[in-house]
Amino acid sequence: MVTTSTAERRAAPQAATVRPEPPRPSGLVYLGLAGLAVLAFIVFWVIQESGDVLLIPLGFVTLWAPLNPVIGLVVMLVALAVCFKARIGTMAAFGALAFIMMSYWAGATVGFTLLEIPERWSNVEPRLMAFLDPNWSYIWTVRDQWLITISMAVVATLVGCAIGLVLAMYASPVSSPNKGTSQTIKAVNSVIRSIPDVGWALLFVAFIGGTAHGLGPMAGILALLMFNIGIVAKLTSETIDAVNPGPVEAADASGATLTQRNRLAILPQVLPGFVSYGLYVFELNIRASAALGIVGVGGIGSAMMLQLNRFQFENVAAILIALIVVVLLVDMFSMYIRRKLL
Amino acid sequence: MITFENIDVVYPNGFKGLSNVNLQINKGEFVAIVGLSGAGKSTLIRTVNGLVPFTSGTLTVGDVVVDPRSKAKLRRLRSRVGMIFQSFNLVTRVSVLNNVLVGRSADTPTWRSLLGWYRAEDKELAFQSLERVGIVDKAYMRAASLSGGQQQRVAIARVLAQDPEVILADEPVASLDPPTAHKVMRDLRRIQQELGITTIVNMHHLDLARSYADRVIGMRAGEVVFDGPVEEATDEVIEQVYQRSLTAEDIVTAEATQE
Repeated sequence: MVTTSTAERRAAPQAATVRPEPPRPSGLVYLGLAGLAVLAFIVFWVIQESGDVLLIPLGFVTLWAPLNPVIGLVVMLVALAVCFKARIGTMAAFGALAFIMMSYWAGATVGFTLLEIPERWSNVEPRLMAFLDPNWSYIWTVRDQWLITISMAVVATLVGCAIGLVLAMYASPVSSPNKGTSQTIKAVNSVIRSIPDVGWALLFVAFIGGTAHGLGPMAGILALLMFNIGIVAKLTSETIDAVNPGPVEAADASGATLTQRNRLAILPQVLPGFVSYGLYVFELNIRASAALGIVGVGGIGSAMMLQLNRFQFENVAAILIALIVVVLLVDMFSMYIRRKLL
Repeated sequence: MITFENIDVVYPNGFKGLSNVNLQINKGEFVAIVGLSGAGKSTLIRTVNGLVPFTSGTLTVGDVVVDPRSKAKLRRLRSRVGMIFQSFNLVTRVSVLNNVLVGRSADTPTWRSLLGWYRAEDKELAFQSLERVGIVDKAYMRAASLSGGQQQRVAIARVLAQDPEVILADEPVASLDPPTAHKVMRDLRRIQQELGITTIVNMHHLDLARSYADRVIGMRAGEVVFDGPVEEATDEVIEQVYQRSLTAEDIVTAEATQE
């Protein structure tokens, strides 16, 4: 008989064969892990700063529990029990335990708790109401600031991408003249990237003066520029690392200079990626300029800061909503371009 | 004329690529290099244009003594020595014409390359090269849209645009199906005969070597173990080179249908 029905083939092996079970993890190691959990609990108990108690109001009775260390221990032991029951390997169980310990320790250190939000409700409520009722006409009032924000983003993106491309060419070992150059440029690039955009803005406001001196947009452009150079150079140089080496070798074999082979064999390969990074930083720039206003560079951020200081939350809400719309539009535009490109 | 005198190649990891190679390849010759993979065929070819620097010995190409340490001298040498690769090595995102123009790099100022603004005579030379391999009508198509055989012809045109004295071909037909392999080999042979360009081709298909080359060089473990005209490269001799009996994989069969 050549043909057997599907049902027959499915039913056949069930009767006789026993499928192998996952191996049972070592109970001894699990015991050790439980010991580790208890040890962690003792450490947390000793280093905890307050004897806070978690109160759980249930209407008729209020349950209480010593805050955090005990909860942490229970969570750890439950997690271990679940892992053991599911026959998870000891290494994975250790990973789960470590994850719980780390997140518990970090959360306890900064005092992370959601319990305070209800207590502050009286403070939150009026502002929330203002945010829910934005002053729509205000969006049009600050159109000049919008124009400045977008111009800042355009200039910073164009110049930043140009400089970033050159740096990327020198940073990648594939396209740089020698190893020393690429290491140096990479180090410089790391320094540029290690300072956040707000840090650059603070620096440039301190150096050349901010909105108060009428130089807000200038400081903003310079800050965004450094921010963009860092991102574009990093991403592009990693794209260059991964280009197909064949055309590069062919250009070398035909006697091209370094610049020629970078232009002819590498640039065409990284161009789609590069343009896409440019669109991405343009989007970042629009968003970042809102935060940069706080430290005194021009644009929509400074308008928002002004309204915040005056407690005009309905105006702030209008700006925030406009910001969301603008960022969405830029995002849709760049997605369209990227699709056309790739 | 290319002369190898006691050429050794030792790779940075200590692997010996070539050991004591002595060869003389005459102007206008079509030489096929055969050998198993790892025998040093690619190393031998890449030594000629300095892509792999030799570690001792003397190498002369034409009247120039090759100096692998001088980048400027290597560039001048490479402008006269074209190379064709197994995987074509085209920039697939740009047009066929721009790929061919890469071959003009050595004679083009860097600023012109940067702007992509080539001289009219360079473009004309590129078109002539494309004409010679019969795909001038594809000049403004993306290289990616071409078939494998057509891409290898673009690579040949790129080499011709260099106006070379020597063509090096590293497994030029290994990625192609048998009929296309024959077509590309016929193109190479025709160009070698029409223009008198010294041509050195690596291959692992014996029948291709026998039908298109003048001379066969057999390599094993970095050494030249056979060197003679095609007629002398009999099956017995090649089995000596390979140190095993020949199999069906050593031939490509399927002679191309005449176009």
